[in-house]
Amino acid sequence: MEGLSNLEYHVLLAMAEGPLYGYAIKDAVEEESSGALTPRAGSLYRVLARLMSTGLVGETDPPAAASQPHPGRSRKYYALTERGREVLAMEAQRLREAASLAERRLARGKR
Amino acid sequence: MSMLLGRLVRLFPPAFRHQFGNDLREQVRTDLRRARASGRWRELHCGVATAFDLIRSAFAERLHPTWTPAPRPSIPEPRRDLTTMLSHWTNDLRLAFRSLRRSPGFAAIAVVTLALAIGANVGIFAVIDSVLLNPLPYAEPHRLVDIAASAPGSDFPPEFGVSEEFVIHYGERSQLIESLAGYDTFTNTLRVDDRVERIRQAFVTQELWATLGVPPLHGRLPGTDDPEGTVVISHQLWTTWFGSDRSVLGSTVDLFGQSREIVAVMGPDFWFPGDGTLLWISYRPDPAAVTPGRFGTSLVARLAPGADEESLARELEALARELPERFGGSAAYAELMQRHRPVIVSQAQEVLGDIAGPLWLMLGAVALVLAIACANVSNLFLVRAEHRQLDLAVRRALGAGRGALLRTLLAEALVVAAAAGLMAVVVAWLSVPVFLQVAPSNVPRLDEVTIGLSTLGFAAALSFAAALVCGLFPAWRSSSARLTRLRESGGRGTTRGRAWSRDALVVLQTALALVLLIGSGLLVRSFQELRAVDPGYDTDNVFTFQMAPEGEHLRDARSYARFHLDFAARLAALPGVDSAGLVENVPLNEGLRLVPFRTEDMPAPGPDEVAPGPRLNYTWVGGDYFRTMGIELQAGRPLHASDPEADSGSVVVSRAAADALWPGESALGRRLQRSGSEAWYTVVGVVEDVMQYTFRGEPDPLVYFSLVELGEEPPALSSPGYVVRTTRAEEIAPEVRALVRQVAPEAPMYRTFTMAELASDSMIELSFTMLTLATVTGLALLLGAIGLFGVLSYVVAERTREIGVRMALGAQARRVRSMVVGQGARLVGVGVAIGLVVALLATRGLDALLFGVGSSDPVTYGATALAMVAIGVLASYLPARRASRVDPIESLRDA
Repeated sequence: MEGLSNLEYHVLLAMAEGPLYGYAIKDAVEEESSGALTPRAGSLYRVLARLMSTGLVGETDPPAAASQPHPGRSRKYYALTERGREVLAMEAQRLREAASLAERRLARGKR
Repeated sequence: MSMLLGRLVRLFPPAFRHQFGNDLREQVRTDLRRARASGRWRELHCGVATAFDLIRSAFAERLHPTWTPAPRPSIPEPRRDLTTMLSHWTNDLRLAFRSLRRSPGFAAIAVVTLALAIGANVGIFAVIDSVLLNPLPYAEPHRLVDIAASAPGSDFPPEFGVSEEFVIHYGERSQLIESLAGYDTFTNTLRVDDRVERIRQAFVTQELWATLGVPPLHGRLPGTDDPEGTVVISHQLWTTWFGSDRSVLGSTVDLFGQSREIVAVMGPDFWFPGDGTLLWISYRPDPAAVTPGRFGTSLVARLAPGADEESLARELEALARELPERFGGSAAYAELMQRHRPVIVSQAQEVLGDIAGPLWLMLGAVALVLAIACANVSNLFLVRAEHRQLDLAVRRALGAGRGALLRTLLAEALVVAAAAGLMAVVVAWLSVPVFLQVAPSNVPRLDEVTIGLSTLGFAAALSFAAALVCGLFPAWRSSSARLTRLRESGGRGTTRGRAWSRDALVVLQTALALVLLIGSGLLVRSFQELRAVDPGYDTDNVFTFQMAPEGEHLRDARSYARFHLDFAARLAALPGVDSAGLVENVPLNEGLRLVPFRTEDMPAPGPDEVAPGPRLNYTWVGGDYFRTMGIELQAGRPLHASDPEADSGSVVVSRAAADALWPGESALGRRLQRSGSEAWYTVVGVVEDVMQYTFRGEPDPLVYFSLVELGEEPPALSSPGYVVRTTRAEEIAPEVRALVRQVAPEAPMYRTFTMAELASDSMIELSFTMLTLATVTGLALLLGAIGLFGVLSYVVAERTREIGVRMALGAQARRVRSMVVGQGARLVGVGVAIGLVVALLATRGLDALLFGVGSSDPVTYGATALAMVAIGVLASYLPARRASRVDPIESLRDA
């Protein structure tokens, strides 16, 4: 598959520690991108849809302690699949390598 | 604003909405709520931005969908390797076994129904396998044919035996025959040491053994170079008469007053030609000493490789045209040979043809019963599957494939059918001996019938087929169960389709049962008609037996006659005995000789010619034969009972014989001559015709000679049949035996029957088929009635609520009953209509057995159809009664 977009990377990253429901993902993305990404509903769920369609994210049971918005309507929880976890790890690796390349170049440029 | 934005979510494609719609709306609501906290402008900004985002994303999603709903999670289809399949099956079978154990009633009814039907099929198959399918005990039996003669347009019977010149000429000239043999079977006295009995024997040409290609068990079979008159004995004779002693080879037996050497013993499986013949005497026809036209010899031939019956018929027809030129004979013979057509049938057809029809018929009948049983069990499974619909629908919703559901449902049918198959073998094993007991005793190989490997294989195959038939249809219907459909019907409803299939099964059952009922009805009517035939003699109160006294004094014809007439007189003196007589061939027990007779008006035959007159049967009588048998005197007088000498030169003829010899004239005082004899006889009486062989067809014309005329051929008549008229016919045998022991201690007494027994034996082919078919039909009716009862009971149970409402609204119990009965009657009516049409076509197979009634007899059809409807109404009545007792309150509460 083609590389992850920034939003996709952050959506995956948001779920790295455990399943989240939709709005919690949005909050995490905003926070972890230091406010750089403030996805609107339509964009966020299209990204989520694409991640699910490609098998990186799946719907899952809510965690035992999860609060419900109101009785009778259950929130959908999403989690990384095994593959999603691998892809996120690979993306992190790529970013790390890109960063270290940048650092090495910058260091050489100084000399 | 939140509502307005919520509307925009609808722009997304349905699948996307279905998955994320709620989440989208929740986020929109939360975003707006948070923005509102920062002021109205923030809220407006957020709202506009969100709206743009939703519209843009929705159109983007429609153009380039990111959401491709994953296929429904499904239980992975089993991998198609053997181990997985086996493990799935064993699992399902185990489950099926357990679930059946939980419904013992259902399981018992299904298993017993199938077991009875499969058992009947297996039993009949065991008989067919041994009698019909087993190859005949000869080398390459398919190449063996039996050849007889016919002469369309002549006064000869439609088919008759050939004569010696055919055996010689065919044997020498035919290119299409590898080898052939002539044979004549007859019953004659066999004497070994002190044992004397009349047994079935045959004169066979020496080529017989090469033609059949069967090696002997002991000894050496006679070939063409061996002298005439050597004897081959059967295994049965060897074990019962000679104690299985091998030294029998080379010893002699007394036949026709001559000693004959035994040269070979055949194996236990060998028989020829299928009429119980125990001994074969070889002879060699002499071309120089042949009298052409002495018909009556049977002919068996081995076809040359590649030859077929049609070309053989053409060849033999041409060969027969050459006979008059080579062997001479009268002008009548030459003319007959112009008309001659050979009749060629396979040896298997010749030997087994009579019984094959009834046996296949029975297999057809029990196959129908199996179809009815399968319909019943199929119906039970349908009902059972309906009760499990919810369970099945849930499994399907959870992703079980249709194949997996089919397997689960089929597994139950397989378990039921396997149990039924096992039980069926036991049923067959128990019932075949009973069946054989009532079967005609002249059927070859009946004693070889066993439940062998092929029969077990048949049972297994049939059970498997029954499982498929019973299980597949309900399984197929139910495996499509869907929750949605169930929800529509309230979780317990019956869809119209299911009701339709149940009704169809009842209609099918009714139709099949009616076909069997009509078949049985036709046979019962034939049997009644046959019983009503007047055979020309009484069958009640007549006892008959034979004995074979020995002694030098009996070799002389006069003293022989004197001895037997004296003995008849002593029999007549027994207490309770009205009269006694004797005859060479007791009707229905032994055959007669058929030869040409001529009157004084007919020309004398040449020296080597056969007499020109009609061919008539003849026999010898003595004592009070006619009165004892109840044969009515039509004109003149009977032969003298006590003074045979007074009857020298006299004969009595039957009405048909008188009509054949002197059509339209009185026979009394006229004279006749038997072919091969010089003597003339005067007719002193005419008696009523008698049925000699069977009650079917026309009586056989018959000439009765007096015992005193035996002088001509005494050795042929060493044991006449006695007839004794007494009201104690059933129990007089021991007294007669005691009397025989007094008069001739060495003489065996055998063939002891009452005429009533002989009469019922003569109808055994019909009565046996009738009995079997009637039993089978009873089973079919029972199963059919159970099927209808079951379906209507189910319908009533289903409609309890509706019936309750009707009754609450004031419907009379009577109306409810007639509603249910009406539903049953409609189904039966359709079944009867179909059954009548099928029966019209199917009962043509019965034609050969029917007597005095056509295969489309309207009375039988009408009566059985009515009976079928009556059974249907009866089977409907019980559920109807239950329906009419429905308590409206209860039914509504339950519902």
